[in-house]
Amino acid sequence: MKLHLDDAELVACVGCGLCLPHCPTYRVTGEEIASPRGRIAAMRAIVDERAPLNASFVAAMDACIQCRACEAACPSGVQFGHLMEDTRAALAPQRSRRRRAVEWVGYRALLPNRRVLGFATRATAIGQRLRLVPKRFGLPPLPLRAPETLTADAAPDAYLFTGCVMDAWQRDTHRAALRVMRATNARVGLPDAGADCCGALHVHAGRYDDAVRLAGRVISAFPGDAPIVVDSAGCGAALLDYGRLLDTEAARQFSARVVDFSTWLVSRQLTLTPSDTVVVVQDPCHLRHVQHAHEPVAAGLRAGYDVRTTADDGLCCGAGGAYSAFQPELSEAVRARKVAAIRAAAGGVATFVVASANPGCAMHLAAAGLDVRHPAELLEARLGND
Amino acid sequence: MCFPSTTADVAFAVTTANRFAIPFVARGSGTGLAGGATPLDGALVIVTTRMNQILEIDADARRAWVEPGVLNLDLTRAVSHLGLHYAPDPSSQQACTIGGNVGTNAGGPHCLAAGVTSAHVLAVEVVLPDGTVEILGGLAPDAPGLDLRGTFVGSEGTMGIATRVCVRLMPDPPEIRTMLADFTAIEDAAAAVSAIIAAGIVPAALEMMDAQATAAVEDFVHAGLPRDADAVLLVEVGGLHGGVTHDASAIDAICRDHGARTVRIAADATERALLWKARKSAFGAVARIAPDYYLHDAVVPRTKLVQVIRQVYEISARYELIAMNVFHAGDGNLHPLLVFDGRTPGIWERVHAAGDEILRACIDAGGVLSGEHGIGLEKRDAMPLFFSADDLDVQARLRDAFDPDGLANPDKILPRGSRCGELGAIPDGAWV
Ligand SMILES: Cc1cc2nc3c(=O)[nH]c(=O)nc-3n(C[C@H](O)[C@H](O)[C@H](O)COP(=O)(O)OP(=O)(O)OC[C@H]3O[C@@H](n4cnc5c(N)ncnc54)[C@H](O)[C@@H]3O)c2cc1C
Ligand code: SF4
Ligand code: SF4
Repeated sequence: MKLHLDDAELVACVGCGLCLPHCPTYRVTGEEIASPRGRIAAMRAIVDERAPLNASFVAAMDACIQCRACEAACPSGVQFGHLMEDTRAALAPQRSRRRRAVEWVGYRALLPNRRVLGFATRATAIGQRLRLVPKRFGLPPLPLRAPETLTADAAPDAYLFTGCVMDAWQRDTHRAALRVMRATNARVGLPDAGADCCGALHVHAGRYDDAVRLAGRVISAFPGDAPIVVDSAGCGAALLDYGRLLDTEAARQFSARVVDFSTWLVSRQLTLTPSDTVVVVQDPCHLRHVQHAHEPVAAGLRAGYDVRTTADDGLCCGAGGAYSAFQPELSEAVRARKVAAIRAAAGGVATFVVASANPGCAMHLAAAGLDVRHPAELLEARLGND
Repeated sequence: MCFPSTTADVAFAVTTANRFAIPFVARGSGTGLAGGATPLDGALVIVTTRMNQILEIDADARRAWVEPGVLNLDLTRAVSHLGLHYAPDPSSQQACTIGGNVGTNAGGPHCLAAGVTSAHVLAVEVVLPDGTVEILGGLAPDAPGLDLRGTFVGSEGTMGIATRVCVRLMPDPPEIRTMLADFTAIEDAAAAVSAIIAAGIVPAALEMMDAQATAAVEDFVHAGLPRDADAVLLVEVGGLHGGVTHDASAIDAICRDHGARTVRIAADATERALLWKARKSAFGAVARIAPDYYLHDAVVPRTKLVQVIRQVYEISARYELIAMNVFHAGDGNLHPLLVFDGRTPGIWERVHAAGDEILRACIDAGGVLSGEHGIGLEKRDAMPLFFSADDLDVQARLRDAFDPDGLANPDKILPRGSRCGELGAIPDGAWV
């Protein structure tokens, strides 16, 4: 069993430690092995055959949330995201049978099949009502009925990417995004069949073959050259990386069309009715550290709200896609830090709303008792109609 | 390795180490550049990262008690709403701990005017090498008795472990002006540094980066730094409006007189933060040039800056190595970095040979071994270059007074053979 990592990427870490304070798992444990520098050193030791690839190595890799805050903080430009994805890919065959079975159901059966996911959602929703679904799974209350379908405009100026879990569980967010986009006089299209899942979670788990197949389907579901607006930070980061993943001209052209919802709005005209509701903006990692596109969120909301930002350099909330399910303890410790930073930003007001541009973060923070909304919903609520 | 969360935990770890006669090493964030926190001979590593609470802030008395694992920048952030800050700001300030700063007596860009760590530590609670807990120093401006606090600060974990630190907090200056001057010849930049100091101005910070460093950090921060400059100076002045305006225009004029192409003034706090981020990322950005670096930390008289910088480039060119210079120019604290790819066969020999020559050039210019990073493991064997046998013996005896059994971070700072009577054990390659 060997790790195949890009040697140049691996040696690019000079060990300066400037990434340490940005790493959520280092922050809550204080342990070098839970830090980016420690993880890179561990990978290097395996590649140089100075250490065995054993259970403690696997545990150290699995404890990483893949938030990529370290990558944004690294002056030497270490591509930590790639290193970790490649490591996960090498570890996948090593997993226990149970974990492989769970992953197969999730990655192969549920996420890429809209109908199967819809069915599973309904079944889980019924289970929740019957109190059969343990609370520790951290799931939000799921819709019992299939949500109303969204309508597309012909000859679109822009597309809205809908995705998998978000479309099944939070379609109302998409509905709000559509309304806001249309309020700027845009004609908004929806993807053709096939764009069921962007493959972000597959890439994070190192399941490149699955991810490549899904990416191919997504690309062909968006004909023309209209921008593809994404209201999920995690999906947006994945779509922007298709160029690298598929390494084709078509994929690179596709990625060049991808833009985050709030960034797209910057060049549009939108009138909001002001209010004094306090909104604390949470920066999803894949918006801030990967897409470097977090600033338009707060900027866009300012016309309608009293907007506050946290003073933690965009530290992760601990959701991390499937992370919160596989690493509940660390995930909760990281979330506790985030919740404290959010409350500090709110500055003592009794009621406030948290804006989160990523469905995973939103669910994770809501489970800690915060009132979390997507920026699209917050904008929709203040659309200028007075 | 252990992760104590209280003073009692640390004392227990140290006592246990004593019982089994194993050495122990304190460790903060491990950003040290001299190998001070590297464990040798199976030493017990006592990591302070979980002792990360700010215990008490007294805004009126401008001081705070903190645990050693508190990160330097976190402390400043925690007091900034009070209009205060913790002055010593190593370029690693976002990552390094106050305990590590005390251990190395760390400096930073703003120490030019404010002084280094020792000037900002009022008292330290330490677990001494035998496991007893003492407070060194005191809250009075001049604590009575011998200044043991001053001895402890900079002792790199060889005299015990700091478990609580009382730091001085400084009021934020009412006005700050940050300037970036861009030169086509590094000699001109160095001459401007001397001229600024000679004019009687004490800038809050006065930093220089050469062409290599400027290009590497610009790739990371995108601050609009001039990629074609041979050197840039980052100068900051702070204080009351009148003084700041006066100093800033004097510095502007001096830089231009010395050939600066442009002098850019940061328009707002964001731009200022960006310029500092550029400067403080320099060491971390070297892998954009090559993946390994070897670094010295010598202080040379400011008047010799130009001469020594020239020698550094000449020596590294002779060994076919890339040299990068980024340093605290105001106090002559050079950081010549040799940047290379450690996977190249035979490169380490070249690096060490060039490193030794650079060090000797610094000494010949009247310099000293370390400005701020400490001696640790890396500079240890060069100590006899600066200190006579008697000097080393006195230092060794002072250390023995704190640590008679030699368990606290042994084999750091002082080379084997420092004590009189063990001269026979001088390591190979050390010059006596
Ligand atoms: C990018 C970069 C820039 C830097 N810039 C500067 C700079 O501008 N100025 C500067 O001075 N340094 C600088 N440094 C060096 C380093 O950051 C400092 O020496 C810092 O003080 C080390 O802190 P640390 O928490 O990482 O300590 P560590 O590296 O963990 O330890 C350093 C030493 O202190 C001892 N120590 C740690 N904790 C304690 C304790 N609680 N009690 C007693 N001893 C202890 C250790 O045993 C060791 O000898 C830089 C380093 C990097 C990587
Ligand atoms: S900031 Fe980059 S180079 Fe420095 S330790 Fe982290 S990953 Fe390595
Ligand atoms: S990706 Fe996030 S959790 Fe993982 S090492 Fe980097 S900062 Fe830490």
